[in-house]
Amino acid sequence: MKKYIQIAKNTWDEALIYRTSFIFYRVRELLKLFSLYFLWYFVTSRNGDFFGYDQSGIITYLLISTFVGDFIFSTRTTAIASEINEGILTNFLVRPLSYLKYYFARDIGDKALNVSFALVEYAAFFAILRPPFIFQENFILILIFITSVLLGVILYFFISVLISLIGFWSNEGWGPRFIFYQVIGFISGSLFPLDVLPKPLFALLELLPFPYLIFFQSKIYQGQLSGIEIGRGFLILILWIFIMYFITLSVWKKGLRVYTAQGR
Amino acid sequence: MYTQRRDVNMRYLSLWLKITTQTTQVAFASRLGVALFTLGKVIRFVFFILFLFLLTSKTRTLGGYTIWEVLLFFLTFNVIDIIAQFLWREVYRFRTYIVSGSFDMVLTKPISPLLRVLFGGSDALDLITLVPLVIFMAYVATQIGDISIINVIVYILLIANGLIIALSFHIFVLALGVITTEVDNAIWIFREITQLGRFPLNIYPKAVGLIFTFVIPVAAMITIPTNSLMGILSPAGVIICICLSGIFLSLSLLSWKEALKRYASASS
Repeated sequence: MKKYIQIAKNTWDEALIYRTSFIFYRVRELLKLFSLYFLWYFVTSRNGDFFGYDQSGIITYLLISTFVGDFIFSTRTTAIASEINEGILTNFLVRPLSYLKYYFARDIGDKALNVSFALVEYAAFFAILRPPFIFQENFILILIFITSVLLGVILYFFISVLISLIGFWSNEGWGPRFIFYQVIGFISGSLFPLDVLPKPLFALLELLPFPYLIFFQSKIYQGQLSGIEIGRGFLILILWIFIMYFITLSVWKKGLRVYTAQGR
Repeated sequence: MYTQRRDVNMRYLSLWLKITTQTTQVAFASRLGVALFTLGKVIRFVFFILFLFLLTSKTRTLGGYTIWEVLLFFLTFNVIDIIAQFLWREVYRFRTYIVSGSFDMVLTKPISPLLRVLFGGSDALDLITLVPLVIFMAYVATQIGDISIINVIVYILLIANGLIIALSFHIFVLALGVITTEVDNAIWIFREITQLGRFPLNIYPKAVGLIFTFVIPVAAMITIPTNSLMGILSPAGVIICICLSGIFLSLSLLSWKEALKRYASASS
Protein backbone atom coordinates (compact mmCIF):
# COMPACT_ATOMS: atom_id res chain seq x y z
CA MET A 1 0.00 0.00 0.00
CA LYS A 2 2.86 2.35 0.94
CA LYS A 3 4.37 2.14 -2.53
CA TYR A 4 1.06 3.15 -4.15
CA ILE A 5 0.74 6.15 -1.84
CA GLN A 6 4.27 7.10 -2.88
CA ILE A 7 3.29 6.73 -6.56
CA ALA A 8 0.35 9.09 -5.99
CA LYS A 9 2.67 11.59 -4.32
CA ASN A 10 5.17 11.29 -7.15
CA THR A 11 2.45 12.01 -9.70
CA TRP A 12 1.56 15.18 -7.81
CA ASP A 13 5.24 16.27 -7.72
CA GLU A 14 5.78 15.36 -11.36
CA ALA A 15 2.89 17.57 -12.50
CA LEU A 16 4.26 20.47 -10.47
CA ILE A 17 7.65 20.22 -12.17
CA TYR A 18 5.96 21.37 -15.38
CA ARG A 19 4.16 24.21 -13.62
CA THR A 20 3.59 26.41 -16.68
CA SER A 21 2.09 23.50 -18.55
CA PHE A 22 -0.21 22.62 -15.68
CA ILE A 23 -1.30 26.22 -15.11
CA PHE A 24 -2.07 26.60 -18.82
CA TYR A 25 -4.11 23.40 -18.64
CA ARG A 26 -6.11 24.84 -15.75
CA VAL A 27 -6.64 28.10 -17.69
CA ARG A 28 -8.13 26.01 -20.49
CA GLU A 29 -10.53 24.36 -18.08
CA LEU A 30 -11.49 27.74 -16.66
CA LEU A 31 -12.17 29.15 -20.13
CA LYS A 32 -14.55 26.25 -20.81
CA LEU A 33 -16.36 26.99 -17.57
CA PHE A 34 -16.65 30.72 -18.32
CA SER A 35 -18.00 30.03 -21.80
CA LEU A 36 -20.74 27.67 -20.57
CA TYR A 37 -21.52 29.86 -17.57
CA PHE A 38 -22.19 32.94 -19.69
CA LEU A 39 -24.20 30.89 -22.17
CA TRP A 40 -26.52 29.39 -19.56
CA TYR A 41 -26.72 32.65 -17.62
CA PHE A 42 -27.82 34.43 -20.77
CA VAL A 43 -30.34 31.75 -21.81
CA THR A 44 -32.03 31.67 -18.41
CA SER A 45 -31.92 35.46 -17.99
CA ARG A 46 -33.97 35.85 -21.15
CA ASN A 47 -36.25 32.84 -20.91
CA GLY A 48 -36.70 32.50 -17.17
CA ASP A 49 -36.18 28.77 -17.25
CA PHE A 50 -34.86 25.95 -19.39
CA PHE A 51 -36.99 22.80 -19.45
CA GLY A 52 -37.92 23.30 -15.81
CA TYR A 53 -34.49 24.48 -14.63
CA ASP A 54 -34.50 28.05 -13.35
CA GLN A 55 -31.36 30.17 -13.46
CA SER A 56 -29.95 29.06 -10.11
CA GLY A 57 -30.85 25.44 -10.92
CA ILE A 58 -29.01 25.36 -14.23
CA ILE A 59 -26.01 27.34 -12.94
CA THR A 60 -25.72 25.03 -9.92
CA TYR A 61 -25.91 22.05 -12.26
CA LEU A 62 -23.23 23.53 -14.50
CA LEU A 63 -20.80 24.36 -11.68
CA ILE A 64 -21.25 21.05 -9.89
CA SER A 65 -21.05 18.99 -13.09
CA THR A 66 -17.88 20.83 -14.18
CA PHE A 67 -16.31 20.24 -10.77
CA VAL A 68 -17.29 16.57 -10.76
CA GLY A 69 -16.03 16.24 -14.36
CA ASP A 70 -12.69 17.75 -13.31
CA PHE A 71 -12.38 15.11 -10.64
CA ILE A 72 -13.67 12.07 -12.49
CA PHE A 73 -12.24 12.70 -15.97
CA SER A 74 -8.68 13.63 -14.94
CA THR A 75 -6.66 10.50 -15.62
CA ARG A 76 -3.18 9.29 -16.52
CA THR A 77 -4.43 6.04 -18.03
CA THR A 78 -4.32 7.58 -21.52
CA ALA A 79 -0.58 6.79 -21.53
CA ILE A 80 -1.18 3.03 -21.23
CA ALA A 81 -1.77 2.53 -24.97
CA SER A 82 1.55 4.09 -25.96
CA GLU A 83 3.37 2.22 -23.17
CA ILE A 84 2.07 -1.02 -24.68
CA ASN A 85 2.89 0.07 -28.25
CA GLU A 86 6.42 1.15 -27.36
CA GLY A 87 7.17 -1.86 -25.15
CA ILE A 88 7.56 0.30 -22.03
CA LEU A 89 5.01 -1.98 -20.33
CA THR A 90 7.80 -4.58 -19.98
CA ASN A 91 9.51 -2.39 -17.37
CA PHE A 92 6.42 -2.65 -15.20
CA LEU A 93 5.80 -6.34 -15.71
CA VAL A 94 9.14 -7.23 -14.13
CA ARG A 95 8.55 -5.02 -11.08
CA PRO A 96 6.81 -6.14 -7.89
CA LEU A 97 3.71 -4.03 -8.44
CA SER A 98 0.33 -4.27 -10.11
CA TYR A 99 0.26 -2.22 -13.31
CA LEU A 100 -3.43 -1.37 -12.92
CA LYS A 101 -3.02 -0.39 -9.26
CA TYR A 102 0.00 1.68 -10.27
CA TYR A 103 -2.19 3.63 -12.68
CA PHE A 104 -4.99 3.95 -10.17
CA ALA A 105 -2.50 5.49 -7.73
CA ARG A 106 -1.30 7.86 -10.45
CA ASP A 107 -4.91 8.83 -11.11
CA ILE A 108 -5.42 9.62 -7.42
CA GLY A 109 -2.37 11.92 -7.42
CA ASP A 110 -3.54 13.59 -10.61
CA LYS A 111 -7.09 14.07 -9.34
CA ALA A 112 -5.90 15.46 -6.02
CA LEU A 113 -3.84 18.10 -7.81
CA ASN A 114 -6.61 19.01 -10.25
CA VAL A 115 -9.19 19.32 -7.51
CA SER A 116 -6.87 21.45 -5.37
CA PHE A 117 -6.43 23.89 -8.24
CA ALA A 118 -10.12 23.72 -9.15
CA LEU A 119 -11.07 24.71 -5.58
CA VAL A 120 -8.92 27.85 -5.82
CA GLU A 121 -10.34 28.66 -9.25
CA TYR A 122 -13.89 28.17 -8.04
CA ALA A 123 -13.23 30.45 -5.06
CA ALA A 124 -12.03 33.15 -7.47
CA PHE A 125 -14.96 32.44 -9.81
CA PHE A 126 -17.47 32.86 -6.97
CA ALA A 127 -15.73 36.01 -5.70
CA ILE A 128 -15.72 37.68 -9.13
CA LEU A 129 -19.05 36.62 -10.66
CA ARG A 130 -21.14 35.78 -7.58
CA PRO A 131 -23.13 33.14 -9.49
CA PRO A 132 -26.65 32.19 -8.37
CA PHE A 133 -25.51 28.91 -6.82
CA ILE A 134 -27.56 26.72 -4.50
CA PHE A 135 -25.47 25.35 -1.61
CA GLN A 136 -26.68 21.95 -0.49
CA GLU A 137 -27.27 21.95 3.27
CA ASN A 138 -28.47 18.36 3.69
CA PHE A 139 -25.46 16.51 5.14
CA ILE A 140 -26.80 13.08 4.18
CA LEU A 141 -27.21 14.17 0.56
CA ILE A 142 -23.65 15.51 0.56
CA LEU A 143 -22.39 12.15 1.83
CA ILE A 144 -24.36 10.29 -0.85
CA PHE A 145 -23.03 12.75 -3.43
CA ILE A 146 -19.40 12.13 -2.36
CA THR A 147 -19.97 8.36 -2.46
CA SER A 148 -21.41 8.60 -5.97
CA VAL A 149 -18.42 10.68 -7.11
CA LEU A 150 -15.97 8.10 -5.74
CA LEU A 151 -17.84 5.30 -7.49
CA GLY A 152 -17.81 7.40 -10.67
CA VAL A 153 -14.01 7.63 -10.36
CA ILE A 154 -13.75 3.82 -10.25
CA LEU A 155 -16.13 3.39 -13.20
CA TYR A 156 -14.27 5.92 -15.34
CA PHE A 157 -10.92 4.35 -14.44
CA PHE A 158 -11.99 0.97 -15.82
CA ILE A 159 -13.56 2.50 -18.95
CA SER A 160 -10.44 4.55 -19.66
CA VAL A 161 -8.07 1.61 -19.05
CA LEU A 162 -10.21 -0.57 -21.29
CA ILE A 163 -9.89 1.91 -24.16
CA SER A 164 -6.12 2.09 -23.69
CA LEU A 165 -5.83 -1.71 -23.75
CA ILE A 166 -6.68 -1.53 -27.47
CA GLY A 167 -2.93 -0.86 -27.65
CA PHE A 168 -2.32 -4.62 -27.34
CA TRP A 169 -3.89 -5.19 -30.74
CA SER A 170 -3.48 -1.90 -32.55
CA ASN A 171 -1.31 1.20 -32.79
CA GLU A 172 -4.46 3.26 -33.29
CA GLY A 173 -5.35 3.58 -29.62
CA TRP A 174 -5.90 7.33 -29.92
CA GLY A 175 -8.65 6.91 -32.54
CA PRO A 176 -11.19 5.11 -30.31
CA ARG A 177 -10.24 7.41 -27.43
CA PHE A 178 -10.91 10.50 -29.58
CA ILE A 179 -14.36 9.14 -30.45
CA PHE A 180 -14.96 8.23 -26.80
CA TYR A 181 -14.18 11.82 -25.72
CA GLN A 182 -16.65 13.22 -28.23
CA VAL A 183 -19.40 10.84 -27.13
CA ILE A 184 -18.80 11.24 -23.42
CA GLY A 185 -18.65 15.03 -23.76
CA PHE A 186 -22.27 14.92 -24.81
CA ILE A 187 -23.95 12.01 -23.06
CA SER A 188 -22.34 12.29 -19.64
CA GLY A 189 -24.22 15.55 -19.03
CA SER A 190 -21.29 17.94 -19.02
CA LEU A 191 -22.93 20.33 -21.52
CA PHE A 192 -26.49 20.23 -20.21
CA PRO A 193 -28.66 18.17 -17.83
CA LEU A 194 -29.62 14.98 -19.64
CA ASP A 195 -33.20 14.97 -18.35
CA VAL A 196 -34.10 17.77 -20.78
CA LEU A 197 -33.79 15.23 -23.61
CA PRO A 198 -36.90 13.45 -24.92
CA LYS A 199 -38.03 10.87 -22.34
CA PRO A 200 -37.44 7.68 -24.41
CA LEU A 201 -33.90 8.82 -25.23
CA PHE A 202 -33.21 9.74 -21.61
CA ALA A 203 -34.60 6.38 -20.41
CA LEU A 204 -32.24 4.60 -22.81
CA LEU A 205 -29.25 6.70 -21.69
CA GLU A 206 -29.99 5.86 -18.06
CA LEU A 207 -29.13 2.24 -18.78
CA LEU A 208 -25.67 3.14 -20.08
CA PRO A 209 -22.69 3.90 -17.81
CA PHE A 210 -22.11 7.46 -19.05
CA PRO A 211 -24.79 9.40 -17.11
CA TYR A 212 -23.26 7.95 -13.92
CA LEU A 213 -20.06 9.90 -14.45
CA ILE A 214 -21.48 13.45 -14.11
CA PHE A 215 -25.24 13.73 -14.46
CA PHE A 216 -26.26 11.35 -11.68
CA GLN A 217 -23.84 12.92 -9.17
CA SER A 218 -24.95 16.46 -10.01
CA LYS A 219 -28.62 15.57 -9.61
CA ILE A 220 -27.93 14.00 -6.20
CA TYR A 221 -26.16 17.18 -5.08
CA GLN A 222 -29.13 19.27 -6.19
CA GLY A 223 -31.49 17.04 -4.23
CA GLN A 224 -33.60 16.43 -7.32
CA LEU A 225 -33.73 12.64 -7.08
CA SER A 226 -36.10 10.62 -4.93
CA GLY A 227 -34.82 7.86 -2.64
CA ILE A 228 -35.92 5.22 -5.17
CA GLU A 229 -34.18 7.04 -8.04
CA ILE A 230 -30.96 7.33 -6.00
CA GLY A 231 -31.12 3.62 -5.09
CA ARG A 232 -31.77 2.61 -8.70
CA GLY A 233 -28.94 4.86 -9.90
CA PHE A 234 -26.47 3.36 -7.42
CA LEU A 235 -27.53 -0.13 -8.46
CA ILE A 236 -26.85 0.58 -12.14
CA LEU A 237 -23.59 2.39 -11.29
CA ILE A 238 -22.26 -0.50 -9.20
CA LEU A 239 -23.40 -3.02 -11.80
CA TRP A 240 -21.45 -1.13 -14.48
CA ILE A 241 -18.37 -1.02 -12.24
CA PHE A 242 -18.48 -4.80 -11.91
CA ILE A 243 -19.09 -5.29 -15.64
CA MET A 244 -16.21 -2.96 -16.55
CA TYR A 245 -13.94 -4.52 -13.92
CA PHE A 246 -14.42 -8.04 -15.29
CA ILE A 247 -14.14 -6.94 -18.92
CA THR A 248 -10.97 -4.93 -18.16
CA LEU A 249 -9.34 -7.84 -16.31
CA SER A 250 -10.28 -10.29 -19.05
CA VAL A 251 -8.96 -7.98 -21.82
CA TRP A 252 -5.78 -7.28 -19.81
CA LYS A 253 -5.07 -11.03 -19.47
CA LYS A 254 -5.79 -11.67 -23.16
CA GLY A 255 -3.65 -8.67 -24.09
CA LEU A 256 -0.69 -9.93 -22.10
CA ARG A 257 -0.84 -13.19 -24.03
CA VAL A 258 -0.38 -11.36 -27.35
CA TYR A 259 2.06 -8.74 -25.98
CA THR A 260 5.43 -8.99 -27.71
CA ALA A 261 7.31 -6.08 -26.07
CA GLN A 262 7.65 -4.59 -29.53
CA GLY A 263 9.82 -1.48 -29.49
CA ARG A 264 12.12 -2.67 -26.71
CA MET B 1 14.50 42.39 -57.18
CA TYR B 2 10.85 41.52 -57.83
CA THR B 3 11.79 38.45 -59.92
CA GLN B 4 14.17 37.28 -57.19
CA ARG B 5 11.42 37.60 -54.56
CA ARG B 6 8.99 35.70 -56.76
CA ASP B 7 11.52 32.88 -57.21
CA VAL B 8 11.96 32.60 -53.44
CA ASN B 9 8.17 32.49 -52.94
CA MET B 10 7.84 29.80 -55.61
CA ARG B 11 10.57 27.75 -53.95
CA TYR B 12 8.78 27.98 -50.60
CA LEU B 13 5.49 27.00 -52.22
CA SER B 14 7.09 24.03 -53.91
CA LEU B 15 8.75 22.98 -50.63
CA TRP B 16 5.45 23.32 -48.75
CA LEU B 17 3.64 21.19 -51.34
CA LYS B 18 6.32 18.50 -51.06
CA ILE B 19 6.25 18.40 -47.24
CA THR B 20 2.44 18.50 -47.17
CA THR B 21 2.22 15.59 -49.61
CA GLN B 22 4.63 13.56 -47.48
CA THR B 23 2.86 14.39 -44.20
CA THR B 24 -0.48 13.45 -45.74
CA GLN B 25 0.93 10.17 -47.07
CA VAL B 26 2.19 9.32 -43.60
CA ALA B 27 -1.23 10.10 -42.10
CA PHE B 28 -3.06 8.03 -44.72
CA ALA B 29 -0.72 5.07 -44.21
CA SER B 30 -3.00 4.29 -41.30
CA ARG B 31 -6.43 4.17 -42.93
CA LEU B 32 -8.17 2.99 -39.77
CA GLY B 33 -6.73 5.98 -37.91
CA VAL B 34 -8.01 8.35 -40.61
CA ALA B 35 -11.47 6.77 -40.47
CA LEU B 36 -11.68 6.94 -36.66
CA PHE B 37 -10.35 10.48 -36.55
CA THR B 38 -12.88 11.66 -39.14
CA LEU B 39 -15.72 9.80 -37.43
CA GLY B 40 -14.83 11.46 -34.12
CA LYS B 41 -14.92 14.89 -35.73
CA VAL B 42 -18.29 14.18 -37.36
CA ILE B 43 -19.73 12.98 -34.03
CA ARG B 44 -18.51 16.14 -32.28
CA PHE B 45 -19.99 18.31 -35.02
CA VAL B 46 -23.38 16.57 -35.04
CA PHE B 47 -23.65 16.54 -31.24
CA PHE B 48 -22.93 20.24 -31.00
CA ILE B 49 -25.54 21.06 -33.63
CA LEU B 50 -28.05 18.99 -31.65
CA PHE B 51 -27.06 20.98 -28.58
CA LEU B 52 -27.69 24.27 -30.42
CA PHE B 53 -31.12 23.05 -31.54
CA LEU B 54 -31.90 22.03 -27.97
CA LEU B 55 -30.74 25.40 -26.68
CA THR B 56 -33.02 27.31 -29.03
CA SER B 57 -35.90 24.83 -29.01
CA LYS B 58 -38.09 26.91 -26.69
CA THR B 59 -37.31 30.48 -27.73
CA ARG B 60 -36.29 29.90 -31.37
CA THR B 61 -33.60 32.57 -30.93
CA LEU B 62 -30.32 33.08 -29.07
CA GLY B 63 -29.17 36.64 -28.47
CA GLY B 64 -31.58 37.85 -31.13
CA TYR B 65 -30.34 35.38 -33.75
CA THR B 66 -32.44 32.55 -35.20
CA ILE B 67 -31.20 28.96 -35.01
CA TRP B 68 -29.94 29.15 -38.62
CA GLU B 69 -28.00 32.32 -37.86
CA VAL B 70 -26.59 30.77 -34.66
CA LEU B 71 -25.53 27.76 -36.76
CA LEU B 72 -23.67 30.14 -39.06
CA PHE B 73 -21.51 31.34 -36.14
CA PHE B 74 -20.71 27.74 -35.29
CA LEU B 75 -19.90 26.89 -38.91
CA THR B 76 -17.66 29.94 -39.30
CA PHE B 77 -15.79 28.90 -36.16
CA ASN B 78 -15.32 25.46 -37.74
CA VAL B 79 -14.01 26.91 -41.01
CA ILE B 80 -11.36 28.95 -39.15
CA ASP B 81 -10.52 26.02 -36.87
CA ILE B 82 -10.17 23.46 -39.67
CA ILE B 83 -8.05 25.67 -41.96
CA ALA B 84 -5.82 26.78 -39.06
CA GLN B 85 -5.25 23.17 -38.02
CA PHE B 86 -4.49 22.15 -41.58
CA LEU B 87 -2.01 24.94 -42.26
CA TRP B 88 -0.24 25.18 -38.91
CA ARG B 89 -0.36 21.61 -37.63
CA GLU B 90 3.43 21.66 -37.13
CA VAL B 91 3.00 24.11 -34.24
CA TYR B 92 1.49 21.22 -32.24
CA ARG B 93 4.82 19.39 -32.59
CA PHE B 94 7.03 22.39 -31.84
CA ARG B 95 7.66 21.48 -28.20
CA THR B 96 9.50 18.32 -29.34
CA TYR B 97 11.78 20.49 -31.48
CA ILE B 98 12.70 22.62 -28.48
CA VAL B 99 13.10 19.95 -25.79
CA SER B 100 15.02 17.56 -28.07
CA GLY B 101 17.27 20.30 -29.42
CA SER B 102 16.31 19.55 -33.02
CA PHE B 103 15.27 23.18 -33.42
CA ASP B 104 19.01 23.85 -33.89
CA MET B 105 18.82 21.84 -37.11
CA VAL B 106 15.92 23.99 -38.32
CA LEU B 107 17.92 27.14 -37.60
CA THR B 108 20.86 25.96 -39.67
CA LYS B 109 18.77 25.19 -42.76
CA PRO B 110 18.67 27.77 -45.59
CA ILE B 111 14.97 28.46 -45.07
CA SER B 112 13.03 30.72 -42.73
CA PRO B 113 12.77 28.88 -39.37
CA LEU B 114 9.43 30.52 -38.71
CA LEU B 115 7.93 29.28 -41.97
CA ARG B 116 9.41 25.83 -41.34
CA VAL B 117 7.87 25.43 -37.88
CA LEU B 118 4.58 26.95 -38.99
CA PHE B 119 3.97 25.22 -42.31
CA GLY B 120 6.27 22.20 -42.03
CA GLY B 121 3.59 19.66 -41.20
CA SER B 122 0.37 20.61 -43.00
CA ASP B 123 -1.83 17.54 -43.01
CA ALA B 124 -4.60 17.23 -45.61
CA LEU B 125 -6.38 14.85 -43.22
CA ASP B 126 -7.57 17.97 -41.43
CA LEU B 127 -9.32 19.13 -44.59
CA ILE B 128 -11.56 16.07 -45.01
CA THR B 129 -14.45 17.62 -43.13
CA LEU B 130 -14.15 21.03 -44.80
CA VAL B 131 -16.03 20.15 -48.00
CA PRO B 132 -19.21 18.79 -46.31
CA LEU B 133 -18.99 21.72 -43.91
CA VAL B 134 -19.04 24.27 -46.74
CA ILE B 135 -21.97 22.43 -48.38
CA PHE B 136 -23.88 22.48 -45.09
CA MET B 137 -23.02 26.15 -44.71
CA ALA B 138 -24.50 26.88 -48.13
CA TYR B 139 -27.68 25.06 -47.04
CA VAL B 140 -27.85 27.08 -43.80
CA ALA B 141 -27.32 30.28 -45.80
CA THR B 142 -30.32 29.42 -48.01
CA GLN B 143 -32.44 29.03 -44.86
CA ILE B 144 -31.49 32.54 -43.77
CA GLY B 145 -32.19 34.05 -47.19
CA ASP B 146 -31.26 37.48 -48.59
CA ILE B 147 -27.54 36.77 -48.81
CA SER B 148 -26.01 38.65 -51.70
CA ILE B 149 -22.83 37.87 -53.66
CA ILE B 150 -21.21 40.98 -52.13
CA ASN B 151 -21.94 39.60 -48.65
CA VAL B 152 -20.29 36.31 -49.61
CA ILE B 153 -17.21 38.08 -51.02
CA VAL B 154 -16.83 40.29 -47.90
CA TYR B 155 -17.30 37.17 -45.77
CA ILE B 156 -14.51 35.30 -47.58
CA LEU B 157 -12.18 38.30 -47.28
CA LEU B 158 -12.93 38.62 -43.56
CA ILE B 159 -12.33 34.88 -43.08
CA ALA B 160 -8.91 35.36 -44.71
CA ASN B 161 -8.38 38.27 -42.35
CA GLY B 162 -9.46 36.09 -39.43
CA LEU B 163 -6.90 33.50 -40.48
CA ILE B 164 -4.20 36.17 -40.23
CA ILE B 165 -5.25 36.68 -36.58
CA ALA B 166 -5.19 32.90 -36.07
CA LEU B 167 -1.72 32.83 -37.64
CA SER B 168 -0.60 35.55 -35.22
CA PHE B 169 -1.81 33.47 -32.27
CA HIS B 170 0.19 30.50 -33.58
CA ILE B 171 3.32 32.67 -33.85
CA PHE B 172 2.77 33.90 -30.27
CA VAL B 173 2.57 30.27 -29.15
CA LEU B 174 5.81 29.44 -30.98
CA ALA B 175 7.54 32.41 -29.34
CA LEU B 176 6.28 31.26 -25.96
CA GLY B 177 7.50 27.76 -26.76
CA VAL B 178 11.02 29.00 -27.46
CA ILE B 179 11.15 30.82 -24.11
CA THR B 180 9.27 28.40 -21.82
CA THR B 181 9.03 25.10 -23.81
CA GLU B 182 5.27 25.31 -23.18
CA VAL B 183 3.36 24.81 -26.42
CA ASP B 184 0.70 22.10 -26.08
CA ASN B 185 -1.63 23.76 -23.60
CA ALA B 186 -0.93 27.24 -25.01
CA ILE B 187 -2.21 26.22 -28.43
CA TRP B 188 -5.22 24.61 -26.78
CA ILE B 189 -5.91 27.87 -24.95
CA PHE B 190 -6.05 29.56 -28.36
CA ARG B 191 -8.56 26.95 -29.48
CA GLU B 192 -10.65 27.35 -26.34
CA ILE B 193 -10.68 31.10 -26.91
CA THR B 194 -11.84 30.75 -30.50
CA GLN B 195 -14.54 28.36 -29.27
CA LEU B 196 -16.06 31.29 -27.41
CA GLY B 197 -16.98 32.60 -30.87
CA ARG B 198 -19.21 29.58 -31.55
CA PHE B 199 -22.03 31.62 -30.05
CA PRO B 200 -23.14 35.18 -30.89
CA LEU B 201 -20.93 37.56 -28.93
CA ASN B 202 -23.86 39.39 -27.35
CA ILE B 203 -24.57 36.48 -25.00
CA TYR B 204 -21.48 37.60 -23.06
CA PRO B 205 -21.47 40.60 -20.70
CA LYS B 206 -20.42 43.88 -22.35
CA ALA B 207 -16.99 43.97 -20.70
CA VAL B 208 -16.27 40.43 -21.91
CA GLY B 209 -17.55 41.36 -25.38
CA LEU B 210 -15.10 44.29 -25.51
CA ILE B 211 -12.23 42.02 -24.48
CA PHE B 212 -13.20 39.59 -27.25
CA THR B 213 -13.29 42.44 -29.74
CA PHE B 214 -10.10 44.33 -28.97
CA VAL B 215 -7.83 42.31 -26.67
CA ILE B 216 -8.44 38.74 -27.87
CA PRO B 217 -10.10 39.44 -31.22
CA VAL B 218 -12.48 36.48 -31.41
CA ALA B 219 -15.04 38.91 -32.83
CA ALA B 220 -12.76 39.82 -35.74
CA MET B 221 -12.14 36.14 -36.44
CA ILE B 222 -15.68 34.78 -36.21
CA THR B 223 -18.45 37.18 -35.15
CA ILE B 224 -17.84 40.05 -37.60
CA PRO B 225 -17.32 37.78 -40.66
CA THR B 226 -20.55 35.93 -39.80
CA ASN B 227 -22.43 39.20 -39.41
CA SER B 228 -21.07 40.30 -42.78
CA LEU B 229 -22.57 37.21 -44.43
CA MET B 230 -25.93 38.06 -42.89
CA GLY B 231 -25.59 41.62 -44.20
CA ILE B 232 -25.41 43.24 -40.77
CA LEU B 233 -22.01 44.87 -40.84
CA SER B 234 -20.81 48.46 -40.85
CA PRO B 235 -17.73 49.59 -42.84
CA ALA B 236 -16.25 50.48 -39.43
CA GLY B 237 -16.43 46.79 -38.50
CA VAL B 238 -14.39 45.84 -41.58
CA ILE B 239 -11.78 48.52 -40.81
CA ILE B 240 -11.51 47.36 -37.17
CA CYS B 241 -10.98 43.77 -38.33
CA ILE B 242 -8.21 44.70 -40.77
CA CYS B 243 -6.46 46.97 -38.23
CA LEU B 244 -6.60 44.26 -35.55
CA SER B 245 -5.11 41.61 -37.81
CA GLY B 246 -2.31 44.01 -38.83
CA ILE B 247 -1.54 44.88 -35.19
CA PHE B 248 -1.64 41.24 -34.08
CA LEU B 249 0.56 40.01 -36.92
CA SER B 250 3.16 42.75 -36.27
CA LEU B 251 3.21 42.04 -32.53
CA SER B 252 3.50 38.30 -33.06
CA LEU B 253 6.43 38.72 -35.48
CA LEU B 254 8.14 40.99 -32.96
CA SER B 255 7.60 38.43 -30.21
CA TRP B 256 9.08 35.70 -32.44
CA LYS B 257 12.20 37.80 -33.10
CA GLU B 258 12.58 38.50 -29.37
CA ALA B 259 12.12 34.81 -28.54
CA LEU B 260 14.79 33.78 -31.05
CA LYS B 261 17.25 36.18 -29.41
CA ARG B 262 16.64 34.38 -26.10
CA TYR B 263 16.89 30.87 -27.55
CA ALA B 264 19.67 29.16 -25.61
CA SER B 265 19.81 25.84 -27.47
CA ALA B 266 19.87 24.27 -24.01
CA SER B 267 18.62 20.82 -25.01
CA SER B 268 20.97 20.13 -27.88
